[in-house]
Amino acid sequence: MNIERIAQYIKQHTTAEDYSLHVSNWDSHETRFAQNGITQHIAGPKLDITLNVSYGTKSGSCTVNQDDETTLAFLLKTAEDMAKLAPEDPEFMPTTSAVPLPKVDNCDAETRDLSPKQMVEIVQKAIDKAKAIDATVSGMTEKHYGESYMFTKNGFAGSNCQTNFGHSMTLKKGSVETKVDYDAKRFAPFNLDKDFARLAAQATALEGMQSFEPEKIAVILRPGALQELMWFMGWMMNRRQSDEGFTPFTDQLGKPFFGDKFSWYSTLLRPELAASPYNYEGYASVEIPWVEKGVLTTMPTNRYWAQKVGTTPSGSYNMYIPGGTATEEEMMQLVPRGLIINRFWYIRTVDAKKGELTGMTRDGVLYFENGKVKHAINNLRFNDIPHDATRRILALGINELASSHASLPTMLIDGFNFVDKTTF
Amino acid sequence: MKYLDLAMNAAVSLGAEYADIRIQKTTDQVIYLQNLSLKHTNTEIVHGYGIRVFKDGAWGFAHSNVFSDEALLATVQKAVDIAALSASVNKHKKLRLAPERSYIATYKTPLKIDSIDVPLQEKVELMMEVNRTMMAYEGIKQAVFYLVIHKDEKLFASTLGTRLDINTQFIDPMIIATANYEGDSQSRTFDEGGRAVGWEWILSLDLVEKAKQIAEEALIKVKADVLGPEERRSLILDPNHLGLTMHESVGHPTELDRVLGWEADYAGISFATPEKLKNYRYGSEIVNFMGDNTLCEGLATHGFDDDGVPGQKWHIIKDGILNEYGSTRDTAMEIGLDYSRGCNRATYYFDQPINRIPNLYLMPGTKPLTPGELIADTEDGVYIQGRGSFSIDQHRVNFQFGGDFFWEIKNGKLFRPLKKVIYKSCNPEFWNSCDAIADERFWRPFGVVNCGKGQPSQSARMTHGSAPARFRNIRVGGSQ
Repeated sequence: MNIERIAQYIKQHTTAEDYSLHVSNWDSHETRFAQNGITQHIAGPKLDITLNVSYGTKSGSCTVNQDDETTLAFLLKTAEDMAKLAPEDPEFMPTTSAVPLPKVDNCDAETRDLSPKQMVEIVQKAIDKAKAIDATVSGMTEKHYGESYMFTKNGFAGSNCQTNFGHSMTLKKGSVETKVDYDAKRFAPFNLDKDFARLAAQATALEGMQSFEPEKIAVILRPGALQELMWFMGWMMNRRQSDEGFTPFTDQLGKPFFGDKFSWYSTLLRPELAASPYNYEGYASVEIPWVEKGVLTTMPTNRYWAQKVGTTPSGSYNMYIPGGTATEEEMMQLVPRGLIINRFWYIRTVDAKKGELTGMTRDGVLYFENGKVKHAINNLRFNDIPHDATRRILALGINELASSHASLPTMLIDGFNFVDKTTF
Repeated sequence: MKYLDLAMNAAVSLGAEYADIRIQKTTDQVIYLQNLSLKHTNTEIVHGYGIRVFKDGAWGFAHSNVFSDEALLATVQKAVDIAALSASVNKHKKLRLAPERSYIATYKTPLKIDSIDVPLQEKVELMMEVNRTMMAYEGIKQAVFYLVIHKDEKLFASTLGTRLDINTQFIDPMIIATANYEGDSQSRTFDEGGRAVGWEWILSLDLVEKAKQIAEEALIKVKADVLGPEERRSLILDPNHLGLTMHESVGHPTELDRVLGWEADYAGISFATPEKLKNYRYGSEIVNFMGDNTLCEGLATHGFDDDGVPGQKWHIIKDGILNEYGSTRDTAMEIGLDYSRGCNRATYYFDQPINRIPNLYLMPGTKPLTPGELIADTEDGVYIQGRGSFSIDQHRVNFQFGGDFFWEIKNGKLFRPLKKVIYKSCNPEFWNSCDAIADERFWRPFGVVNCGKGQPSQSARMTHGSAPARFRNIRVGGSQ
């Protein structure tokens, strides 16, 4: 793939009055294992070239995955034909021009150069460790290296180089199932021994499960669980949807709508977090305080709506929820009884206007009482409203990297609403 | 095509016990119109090939978008190399492939009008008219028309000698009207799911009339009452609601790869384990589920799957008893089957195929019964149409569903419209509570086009179907 050749071809041959060109090129290696054997093993590149063009306020776009001249000619003609046939768009926005972009460091040579053999050795070691404790392990070891670019007719030019390494493990021992995963832009901090020790410890803690009926109860949400919940809440925070009355955040901008212990940022300042230097709409990423000490300060806003309501456009590019210093042991002392949640699963919206979500716990739930873990319990279903839940935060733990794009703390929340249970 | 033979010969010469190549060109056209503003109009072509090599009890899969002899041979080599690496781990856990014969065949989705060829202007004019129709109603704040047209052109060859030429296509129109009233906001959606047909289906739907109906129903819904606290009630579920319920609570639990634990790390496993085959009461005696990859207009009807196994029709649940799974060549042998049910499908050329839900449907009742008679025979219940919230645990036991439009039933009549209804149930309680199914005159398909599964994630499609059915004594109530 030669990005300059692609960009030059479009620039020289287009008749469009405006255009934006997006190119991404990834090379991936994915080794999937289950029940102590490899079930899938995938390798190869992926190219994606998208051209958006416009004539006046009429727009069209096309995406292809090859960069030979015949395909580029097809790309151009298809996008232009679609734009010519499209109706005038009352919400059309011209592309952006050149802007200075922040420097980001999303790319790591060691991660890019990981060999298939190294990755399979990781899988083999994980399986050997599982066998040694009479258990089975399932998961995926993956490595990705990618470059992405954006150009507009009006002069915007951006690029981003990214690497990612991931290794997930779900351990099954007897009736116990539990999971840990590593997902980061760099391979170097990955420590299989440490991750497996944590996995085995989680499994041991989950032995001797007892039945537990659903109720409103305090929860210690570990970072993996909190991340799931927060992404879903974040998707409901769109500024236009809120301004038009479709979400719980209508008329809440600038108000203390969340609990005062809760803040949420997208940030370029934390080196462990991946961050794109620019948004797909063609503006530079900047520090964004979405929520500061409970006050809703910014909402994701596209360029059209930002212009309409007189604000700057903003989009989430990573998640940083600042934590505190409390350990799980200290959190357990703060409430008479509660549950420790490893992870949530299958979260879905129940009521978009109220912001109510449902979902199941997964990969282990522990019951604690009088400051001590008593036993594991069955998985539970919750129906709750996350922004309400932030008003019931009692304590925050230290931040952990939950994924390459999210750093969150463990969080103690009072009165989490569980409504049903399952059989395991 | 020369690449088919070149790849297969190279794979064999490099020691593959089995290999296949899938050259696949996928065309997607997506048009998204919101409040008369065309938010997205894109045609996407994804073209390349994936080569799968089986060696020493393990798979290697490599893909490329470069069509040249050199690139193809390098891709074969890569697939062989990573199969060998996989085999080094699988020494004591070798996969085996169920026997299969060779086929030389073609399959093409029967259609009258190729949707891709319909001029964009014609599509957009229809969509604008539908949008305008909905926005003409006072109280409708958002009108959306989302149209997806998808086409796959596949050439498949395997070292068994199979050569397949498969062309499939589907179209999926979705219309949404959202109404605001006194601080609440509610949407009503026209959504039949996708269907493997051409543009002629769109012309037959009279979408402008449908737009009026859903706009009116959105306004009814936003002003509707909320059902009180959760109680045990009867449910009557429409086919375009029941499609998703059966997808989650029957389709996924009977995928054999989940049963084997191959999805343990992500999508989850299944409670419907092999010792339950032929003896586990999954549902009442009137509950019969067919897996059917020969279903006319079915989204999983491709002639053959990506193992080169022909489409089949079989009982997954028979007279309420768990009968058989949906399987692939590599999962079938794990439970001692010497045949695959042909459920191995990949989304794009760069995806390794995985065990997928087939077209799966609930057989209609065998005695004459209309939906009206079903309602008349129900004293206290809720009638649910359309898809809403859906969530199920990773063993596929406990679930909670919402819907899109609700009527309370009192004394055999539709008593009042409702909103925010959810029901909670579990396997096997739910399907055992099914006590009546309307007859075949009322059977309707419902297509799912975005079934997410796998690592890396893939999005598959399949058709479900049923006649309206009744479920007794289910926990039903309003949301918080």
